[in-house]
Amino acid sequence: MASPLSQVLLDGLFAGGAYALMAAGMALILGVVKVINLSHGAFFTLGAYVAYALAARGIGSPIAAAPLAAVIAFAFGIFLGKSFVNPVRSHPFALPVGTLACALLFEQAAQLLWGPHPLSIETGAPWIGPGGLVVRRWGVVAFLSSAALLGGLKWVLSSRPGLPLRLIAEDEEIAGSLGMDVEAIRYLTFGGACAMAAAAGALLSPSGAVTPTMGRAPLLLSLVVVIVAGMDSVEAIFLLSIGLGIFGNACAWFLSPQWSYVALLAAVCLLLSVRPAGIVVLAGRRD
Amino acid sequence: MNNAAPFRGGWLAAGIGLLLLFPLSSPDAFFLDVFTTGFLLAAFAASWDVVGGLSGQITLGHALPFGAAAYACAVLTTLAGWPLPLAVAAAVLLAVAVGAGIGALSAPLAGPFVALLTLALGEIAHEVAVGHTFFSGTGGYAWGGEGGIPVALPWRDAPPFPSYYAALGFLCLASFGMLRFSRSGMGLILRAVAGSPVTAQASGIPIARFKRLAFAVGSGFAGAAGAGFVVHVGRATAADLSLELSFQAATFAAVGGRGTIVGPVVAALVLHVLFQGLSLHPSARVLLYALTLLVALRFFPGGVVGTARYLASRLGRREGARPPRRRGRNRNGEGTP
Repeated sequence: MASPLSQVLLDGLFAGGAYALMAAGMALILGVVKVINLSHGAFFTLGAYVAYALAARGIGSPIAAAPLAAVIAFAFGIFLGKSFVNPVRSHPFALPVGTLACALLFEQAAQLLWGPHPLSIETGAPWIGPGGLVVRRWGVVAFLSSAALLGGLKWVLSSRPGLPLRLIAEDEEIAGSLGMDVEAIRYLTFGGACAMAAAAGALLSPSGAVTPTMGRAPLLLSLVVVIVAGMDSVEAIFLLSIGLGIFGNACAWFLSPQWSYVALLAAVCLLLSVRPAGIVVLAGRRD
Repeated sequence: MNNAAPFRGGWLAAGIGLLLLFPLSSPDAFFLDVFTTGFLLAAFAASWDVVGGLSGQITLGHALPFGAAAYACAVLTTLAGWPLPLAVAAAVLLAVAVGAGIGALSAPLAGPFVALLTLALGEIAHEVAVGHTFFSGTGGYAWGGEGGIPVALPWRDAPPFPSYYAALGFLCLASFGMLRFSRSGMGLILRAVAGSPVTAQASGIPIARFKRLAFAVGSGFAGAAGAGFVVHVGRATAADLSLELSFQAATFAAVGGRGTIVGPVVAALVLHVLFQGLSLHPSARVLLYALTLLVALRFFPGGVVGTARYLASRLGRREGARPPRRRGRNRNGEGTP
């Protein structure tokens, strides 16, 4: 039996990688669509339930679940972005309340479909590493695929295909005057970011219980990450997410899973009272 | 500033008359109970409107003062053995203090961050309520968690008729108080703060103080509704602090028309009685609330009151009576071109 500390560190590292994927999606929405998406956690939950439904049919592999979850979430995300987020973008009331409504809508739908009880996914025996360290297979897969996806995102953003995104983040009027379809890029980005959250949910689903409200903690974690690390650097998001993943895991291991959620909530409150401007992109907007 | 009362006195009086008459038609006890909780929820929705509509501080943690008062009532009567009226008074004071605290924390924040902070504060309170257990006076068994804490009531089973009329009376008094507040000088200043904080500040208004005031007043009424609710139900549970409850208040306000006080009350009564009366699964109910809210936000940004006013002005039915007819519509449906 390995020491709990190294086990917590390893599992936190695995979880943090997937959280980074989700936080990067949140940052993308903030940068390009310039809204806080409170339904981001619901897409995480959606991914986890897709993984559960597949596992229940004998396909218990995050490699199969993540792409499927991403495609489903992309479709829902485009619908949400096109029919709700884009039209009400400038309403300071409709946006937070509406995205929260979407999150609750999905939580309740999940509760009706799968019940309120925690579900778990069986993914086979773990490898036992040096010193009795338990290396879970899903964790390795989650970490590697998240890192690969984030690397891909970084490459896309810094290369030619990502130019419209960067330009819209900087100045949407110029982007529009250059002939870019700003509205379409907005909802496509929204859908893509939702797909990232769902992939993260599918990758992380075997790590714990799948419940309707499981997306709330990752949502807050992503908010903490984008408030602290900003939206410019994928590396900063990645490192901070891993730090928070380890922290959350330590809280869950040494106290109880509930306390890692409370710690994240307290971190959001603390950060907002220390940095009243919140997230820089939104602070400049008049609303 | 006339947009506080949409239908003017006549319709309102007729509605109150109908509600007063309703129990005499010997309805099912279940429906009496649905209406009684509906009145308390309607007062809660109106108190959300003081914060989120009137002063534009979009709170997603309004269940916090409601639940804090509910828990205070339960803890003070059951564990500390206070008499009920004293406990209720203390609970309302606690809610005012909680509101002033939330207001102080959120005053420097802008736009969506108020929503984020209040959401986080409400969720912390909910988690603490779920996780904390209290020991009964004799130490025999524990209270708290999801099951909550019972309230020691001076009566055994509250008879349905007095509860109904007490809740209705409370709703009328509270709505009247909030309506008066929204039309007072302070209400006017709060509307100015909601409209443009920068302009309000330039006019010499201490906006942080007024934001705190809005939170304190709204939370005080929410606490009163929470105390009434817990006395009616007989038990404070973690659901009284839940995000779903805060969300319901915002839904009622959005559907009824933000900043009108009367609109949220009417919306709360209609939606609650409709969804609760159908005896749906609780999840299906919240789901329907979310759907209703999304449709309202997307297609009727001014809510029922705003839309009704807009239609009235289009049809020109109430010609010439009050010129600033469209102001309410514009104020509530921000972002109209």
